[in-house]
Amino acid sequence: MSAHLQLSDIRVSFNGFLAVNGLNLSISKGELRCLIGPNGAGKTTALDLICGKTRADSGSVRYAGRELSHMEEHLIARAGVGRKFQVPSVFRQLSVRDNLEVAMCRHTGVFATLLRPARGRGGEGLETLAEFVGLADALEEPAANLSHGQTQWLEIALLLAQDSELILLDEPTAGMTQQETVKTADICNRLKGKHTIVVVEHDMGFVREIGDVISVMHQGQLLAEGTVREVSQHEKVREVYLGSMGIGGA
Amino acid sequence: MTRPISALRGAGEARLQFALYAAVCLAIFLVPLAVGDDFLLNRYARYLVLGMVAMALSLSWGYAGILNLGQALSFGLGSYCMAMALKLGTVPVHTGSDGLPDFMVWNNVETLPWFWVPFHSTAFAILAGIAVPVLVACVLGWFIFRGRVTGVFVAIITLATLVVANLLIIDRQPYTGGFNGITDLAQLSLFGFTFDAYSKSTYYLVAACLTVSLFACLALTRSKAGLILQAIRDDERRVRFFGYDVAAYKMLALAVSAAVAGLAGMLYTVVMEFASPTFLDVSLSLSIVIWCAVGGRQSLLGAMLGAILIAGMQGALSESEAFLDTWMLVMGAIFVTVVLVLPNGLAGLVSAGAHRLAAMLASRDPRRGETVHLGKPAEDRP
Ligand SMILES: Nc1ncnc2c1ncn2[C@@H]1O[C@H](COP(=O)(O)OP(=O)(O)OP(=O)(O)O)[C@@H](O)[C@H]1O
Ligand SMILES: [Mg+2]
Repeated sequence: MSAHLQLSDIRVSFNGFLAVNGLNLSISKGELRCLIGPNGAGKTTALDLICGKTRADSGSVRYAGRELSHMEEHLIARAGVGRKFQVPSVFRQLSVRDNLEVAMCRHTGVFATLLRPARGRGGEGLETLAEFVGLADALEEPAANLSHGQTQWLEIALLLAQDSELILLDEPTAGMTQQETVKTADICNRLKGKHTIVVVEHDMGFVREIGDVISVMHQGQLLAEGTVREVSQHEKVREVYLGSMGIGGA
Repeated sequence: MTRPISALRGAGEARLQFALYAAVCLAIFLVPLAVGDDFLLNRYARYLVLGMVAMALSLSWGYAGILNLGQALSFGLGSYCMAMALKLGTVPVHTGSDGLPDFMVWNNVETLPWFWVPFHSTAFAILAGIAVPVLVACVLGWFIFRGRVTGVFVAIITLATLVVANLLIIDRQPYTGGFNGITDLAQLSLFGFTFDAYSKSTYYLVAACLTVSLFACLALTRSKAGLILQAIRDDERRVRFFGYDVAAYKMLALAVSAAVAGLAGMLYTVVMEFASPTFLDVSLSLSIVIWCAVGGRQSLLGAMLGAILIAGMQGALSESEAFLDTWMLVMGAIFVTVVLVLPNGLAGLVSAGAHRLAAMLASRDPRRGETVHLGKPAEDRP
């Protein structure tokens, strides 16, 4: 089976520092792939490369038969790529409802949106979604007033509203309670199959919950790939990552 | 003051906003019933025009976060388009060859320049008065926004463009009237109706244009595109990752803003009976920004009323004996105070006050058994 998302031999340097150094990654359609690795391994940068936030110095990013590496961000998004950022980024001045309205982006053209009311007919779906992430009571609240956890959930809701084919999640459970982490894992498991998902995560419990195949990055390269079991028994991985976190094969 | 005005978007709030806008427009239309003096009406019409151009700035600055310091450029271009048509409409007094504007004769121009020719048609002039500023805004916007220029650099580029345009107009005296501008104009005549600057008719013309453009802009801000503009103001990079072409949206905001400013410029020529390089100079452009900030840049109505209020005060202060020398100082003090104390201008103050009131009323209501947190509007709770 040919890969749905294929990163080939990508290289990126920031002021001479090679953040990603010959990364190869291949993910098939409907797969949920976890990306783990120590701090500074280049995981976030890898996601940035896919969604166009960062440009590769060399190499290619192919998705659904299209080369993304030279496309503008909004065109990549229209091609079906959605992204949750490591630092939650929502529209702080807008209400939760308006945040969700912006994320419902089936029509993106200027003239199409000019003729549509700000509060679309998707009202019901929107409220269900807000209910689902526990923000139903805060719909009219500006996003700036939300707590960190709520902001995380809002961004997840934005992603669900956007309904992209390929979903990139950067540390979705950071700062979440145990219960919330379980719920996030649940969402991921439900999206699996219909969407292709890449999750960057440090929480090994969470990874074990959702991951089929795990890719481990180290110093901008792919270090190992396999099931949770295979990866956690991998000598080098234990040395650079799992071991240092003290949760080895547990 | 932590609540941004734009966050309040309940359905009831929308209706209230509509009613408020309509009430203000109605009041503007009623003014001539109380004011018989044509001289005063002319002055009020002038303030309304300035209100219009500040409202246009609120659309690009307040909603889309584009600080356009060259707002007077669109305004001036509109006013010159109208002045050219009205100049050609005069019966030539000082002309040598047929219908050549007097200042051209003085400058030894022998035939009407090609770009003046179509302005024999008033319809063309009106179209141009909107289309030229829009075109300039689109070209400028294309370079700025495709190049991803943001923040203070946008302000610098727009200001620089304004200065260049201003110098060009002053420099090309044979075609533009230079420093003196274009004076001795005919009265605007549309559909067989003549608009005397010192009459109710011109006042109503301005009031009607103001109302139409105010509601058109309101509709824009209430559309999904308007919401996306506000999202862009908040975090434009994030907007891109939803698939919206940020540059196109910003160009839309700049272009609509330019169209309204161009229309206002045309009306300004009709009201003032001349066009001059001062209509697109830096000090007017900065004044527009101040009006907008004081009134509340995130509110179309606020910006408009801010301009009318301050321009009115400016007029009154600069004429009164006591403030003859100090009115600039007084205006500066007001501006600094408002900007420091009220980040959302007077409109922000009004809306915060309304929320307080609503919260207080709700807390008195015996059917609601809960305590009210001041500063949080009552309608936020289910
Ligand atoms: N814009 C940038 N400019 C300079 N250096 C950068 C930039 N972005 C990332 N880096 C560097 O590149 C390296 C990889 O960063 P990246 O954010 O991809 O790591 P990560 O694997 O996501 O780490 P973490 O687990 O801490 O999120 C880091 O050393 C980081 O300092
Ligand atoms: Mg990271």
